[in-house]
Formats: sequence, C-alpha cells, structure tokens
Amino acid sequence: MNFAFTDEQLALGAAVRDVLRDACPPAALRTERRPGWRGLAELGFFAALLPPEHDGLGLGLTDVLPALEETGRACLPGPVAETAVAAPLLPKAAGGELCVSVVAPGQAYAADADLADLLVVLRPDGARLVQAAELTPRPGIDPCRPLFAVAYDAYEPLEAPAGPVLHRLAVATAAQLVGVAKELLARSVAYARVRTQFGAPIGSFQAVKHRLADVAVAVEFAAPLVWRAALALDAGAPAAGRDASAAKAAAGEAAALAAGSALQVHGAVGYTDELDLRFWLARAWSLGAAYGTSAVHRERVRAALLGGDARRWP
Amino acid sequence: MDLDFSPAERDFRAEVRDWLSANVPDPPLPSMDTAEGFQAHRAWEARLAAARLSVVSWPEEYGGRGVSLIDWLIFEEEYWAAGAPARVTQNGIFLLAPCLLRFGTPGQRARWLPRMASGADVWAQAWSEPEAGSDLAALTSRAEPVPGGGWRLYGHKTWSSRAAHATHGFGLFRTSGARHKGLTYFMFPLDEVAVRPVAQLDGLPGFAELHFDGVRVEESMVLGEAGQGWSIAMATTSSERGLTLRSPGRFLATADRLLALARESGDPAAADRAARCWTEAEAYRLHTYATARRIMAGEAAGAASSLGKIFWSELDLRMHALALELLGERAGETPWLDGFLFALAGPIYAGTNEIQRTIVAERVLGLPR
Repeated sequence: MNFAFTDEQLALGAAVRDVLRDACPPAALRTERRPGWRGLAELGFFAALLPPEHDGLGLGLTDVLPALEETGRACLPGPVAETAVAAPLLPKAAGGELCVSVVAPGQAYAADADLADLLVVLRPDGARLVQAAELTPRPGIDPCRPLFAVAYDAYEPLEAPAGPVLHRLAVATAAQLVGVAKELLARSVAYARVRTQFGAPIGSFQAVKHRLADVAVAVEFAAPLVWRAALALDAGAPAAGRDASAAKAAAGEAAALAAGSALQVHGAVGYTDELDLRFWLARAWSLGAAYGTSAVHRERVRAALLGGDARRWP
Repeated sequence: MDLDFSPAERDFRAEVRDWLSANVPDPPLPSMDTAEGFQAHRAWEARLAAARLSVVSWPEEYGGRGVSLIDWLIFEEEYWAAGAPARVTQNGIFLLAPCLLRFGTPGQRARWLPRMASGADVWAQAWSEPEAGSDLAALTSRAEPVPGGGWRLYGHKTWSSRAAHATHGFGLFRTSGARHKGLTYFMFPLDEVAVRPVAQLDGLPGFAELHFDGVRVEESMVLGEAGQGWSIAMATTSSERGLTLRSPGRFLATADRLLALARESGDPAAADRAARCWTEAEAYRLHTYATARRIMAGEAAGAASSLGKIFWSELDLRMHALALELLGERAGETPWLDGFLFALAGPIYAGTNEIQRTIVAERVLGLPR
C-alpha cells in the first residue's frame, strides 16, 4: 500500500511541465493550434502507453497521470488524451506518431479532428479506424478545442473493444480536468491577493476565502478517485468501469466549481477575451462534457451501486 | 503507486474481523452518556485492550501493537463495518495520547497511557470556555504556582465532552498574560472539579461545564513546559481534524447502510444522492491512504488536515440527513436518529468549519489575513 506517485511518475510530469512552460505559454493559445506537441513527442509522451517493442515507454495509465495533469494545467490544445490513449489500438508503428481524434458513443462531434491524422470511432459494437473523413466545423465553447461533425465512407474495424478504451479516455480526461481545476484555483488566489477593494485585497474577505477553500476541498478529494480509477483500469479490477465514472464525474464537478469561482473572483475582467483566464474556463467546460458529462457518469455509478455492485477496490 | 495490501496487512484484517464478529455486543450497548452505558463502554474498552486491539498503533509497552498507520486504518474499517461500539476513550486515545507520546516525559507516558488504553482512566477535554470558543486563545482560566511545587487551577470550562462520567481531563490554562505563549497544557483528575452535566440535543449529558476553584494539581500534570501549551494543543487539534479522530472506516460503514436504505426506498433521487455519498466516502478513504503514507514518511499533517475535516464532517451530515428523509417518522426506531444528532456536531467541534475554511484559505492557499 503506497498510494503516492513514484519518483519516475513525478519525473515524467515534471518533464512535461518544463516542456510546456517554454512551448505552451498562454500567449501561444491565441496564435498556435498545437503548441508544445513536438516537445512532448520528443519525450515519448504520446507513445508512453505503447509496449517497448513498438518503440513505446511501456507505461500504464497510472504512470502518465501527473503528465496528463500538467497538460491540463497548461491548457495544452489538441487531442492530447486521445492520442496517448488510442496509441496502443493503432496498427503497429502508427501509434505515438500519428495524431488521433475520437468520436465516442453518444457524442456527435469529434474534438480537434482538424489536427488528426486518424479518427477512432467508438461504437457499442466495436471500434473503427477512419483514415479519411469529411469534417464540418460545429460551434463550441472552447476556442482551443474545436468540434467537427464527421462523415466517412470507409473504415477498418479495430480489434479492441470500445468499452475499456472509453474508460481510459474518461480517466485521462479526468486527470486533465484536475490540472485545469488546480490552475483555475491558482489564478483565482493570485488575483485575489493583488486585487484591492475597500482598501484591502479581496482575498482577505471571508466570503472570497471560503469560496476558494471549497474549491480546494473539491479538487483535493477528486484527485484520489482519478488515481484509483487509473490503477483499477491498469490492474483490470472488477469495478474499474464504475470507478472510472466516479473519477470523471468528481473531476468534472471540481473543475466546474473551480471555473465558476474563478470567474466570480475575477469579476468583469474575467468575463473578457482579454484575460487568459478564459482558456481555462472553456477547457473546464469542454472537457467536463467530453466522454460523458458528470451527470452521465453519476448515473452510471448510481446504476452500478444500486444494482448491487458496491465492491470496494482495494 | 499502488493500492495493494501486503499479506501481513490482509492477515491483520482477517484477525480483527474474526475477533470482532465473535465479540461485538448484540444488542448494542446503551448510550455512553448514561451512567450504565458509560460503564458498559468502559468494560468494552477493557475487552478490546485484553485482545490488544484498543490502541493498535501505539508502542507495545503501552498496550499497543506498534503497527503502522495503514494497519490502524484497516482496524478502523473493520471496527465500524462490524457495528462495534463508539469509543468512550476517544478523547484520550486520539487527542491526548498523541501529545503524551510526543511531548510527555517517560514517567508521564508510563503512568497514563496503559490506563488509558484499557479504559481504566477515561479522559475528557477542556478547551472551550463561555467566552472562548472559536477564539480559543482568548481563554481566561488560569493556573497559579504553589510554593514548594504544583499548581492550583481556577476558572470555567465548558462543552467538555464525556466529562459528566470521565475520570480525568486535559486542557489549556493561562500561566501568564501572553496570548499564545502564556498558555500551559494541564492534565487533572476530575474528582475535585465541580462538574455540571449539560444535556445535548438527545437529552443526555454528553457535555459538562467544569468549574475550577483552586483545584490542586501536581507538577507532573503539566505536559511539556509552562507556556508551551498552545503549540502542543495545536499538534493535538491537527490530529483531531485529521485522520486520527474520524478515520474513513466510520463513513464507509455509514455509506454502505445508506445505500441499502436508498435501494429499499426505490426513490431514484435518493439513490442518486446515496451513490454520491458512497463515492465521497471512498474519496475520503483513498485520500487518507495517501495522507497516511506521507505521515509515515515523516511529513506533518498540518493545515491540510482542515481540508479533510470539512469534507468528512459535511459528508457525514449529508448521509444522515438523507437517511432521515427516507425514514421519515420511523427514524427514531433506528440508529440513524442518534447518528444524525451526532453528525450535526461534526461541523462545530474540533474547530468550526468556518474556522477550517479560513485556515485552508490562509495557510494552504496563501490568501492574506
């Protein structure tokens, strides 16, 4: 029992943070479509989940959680979780090299499909690989995560069943949401320390303090559910799907709370396009809706628990 | 990172589970806040101690087994899942004992810890005063040195849990005017203290007021040095808020019972709320495993324990409030009513949740005072 990240897991996270600090500053979010990706590819991040014989790092989902959280903190654009999680499904040699967008069951649009070399379409009856698709832009909330309707004629069936892929994608997205929430909280605290009204920093007022303390609590107790879900998926634990849903719902709700509080603490300037805060607000909402909203995942947990599967792991 | 229990940890869990299934009283003991229930709970503590299960994480010389915090969490999960009695010794073993182990002399530890572990002594805490609650450092009860050694205690303490029936108390008394550095940590026998029992919402005297009119205590009843009381007490309150006082096991057991109740009710909205509570109890459990690992590695729980106190106290209240909604007028025929009354106190004791949120904002997040 050692429920703490190893030095190696933390080191990968730190390496991703270092790359993104230089290559994906907030200014890049306004000008570049895929900043930082080259650096992450050089670290082997997108091939992290591939076995070494396919030139991967042979890691589990748990091993890349700190790194995924950093991509959320940096608001890194592009189908990050999709490309990393889908890599092991792709034909040999393509994984880790090619950028992948995913259409999930119940989801009409593919995010970031304009960047993708390949499209993975997850359907209840299996996964499909699409090489060429016609993309139609659709309006969305996140300027750095555009949505596209996709139409395609030809596809290859993939061997992997759709369910486990979707669980892993939900947990990877949840890890990003934890990073988004932490960044929103950090930006709110930084602003509340310097913004002065009534002759005092607004962060000295109890109404502001307690609101941000509630965000800290939500993030603090969402994160361990995400870590556990990744361990459960890596270990093939019996209730791993239920635990993945618990993680996605908790992380999505924590990020939504962080976004709402961040906007309120910043006030009118937070409501502008001029402040960088807008990118993290949008990411909290767009990832919160991706691969099952919090409400959808809450419903799955409820159905599992009420159906009698209240097994605890460990 | 892993969540695997070792073979030794699994064996320990099995031993605890077997012992509890053979020994947990049925029917449950009467409330520990009645004279009869208090003695029954004390006798239960003696049985636990005889099996060396009352304080498993303490060193063996004081009645424990010297096991790790992870084992202690396993013990707690099994204890509450088995429906075992509330711990009448909890203020002593969870709040005073950590301070004795850290700041006490070898003589103090040998004198008090084994008797605490067996329930021979039952300790009440004496922090709050009528005019010093959340602002604890405003307290005015005082201790005066007696020529030739020892002290006399004067003043008025209140909301002292278990003091109506307990044998001893511990708390802070002023030994000089300095707000924090003028406070000293005293232990005292309750037999010379004037105790006025105070009934709680359930009508039973879970509280008491303590009046000190020159109560004489020996020099050996001072914990640490005179003037160190505040820093010692803060070490206690951080354990009180943190994982030692309210370990996850208690909430996991409540969440399981709540889920069963929601299932029976057939009410989809209730099922939704129950499932959320069950998941949150899991989150507290997992968070605590991570915290335990950090503490075992030598880190202090510190201000982060306030995050946990907010989370578990409000979860506990939500769970019991939902159960009461589902049970309606039948609630009083079940243990849920007492549980609800107990849960209501959670956001108040050990530092109100308003104080905790301020601590989180200032000391965890770094917002200005």
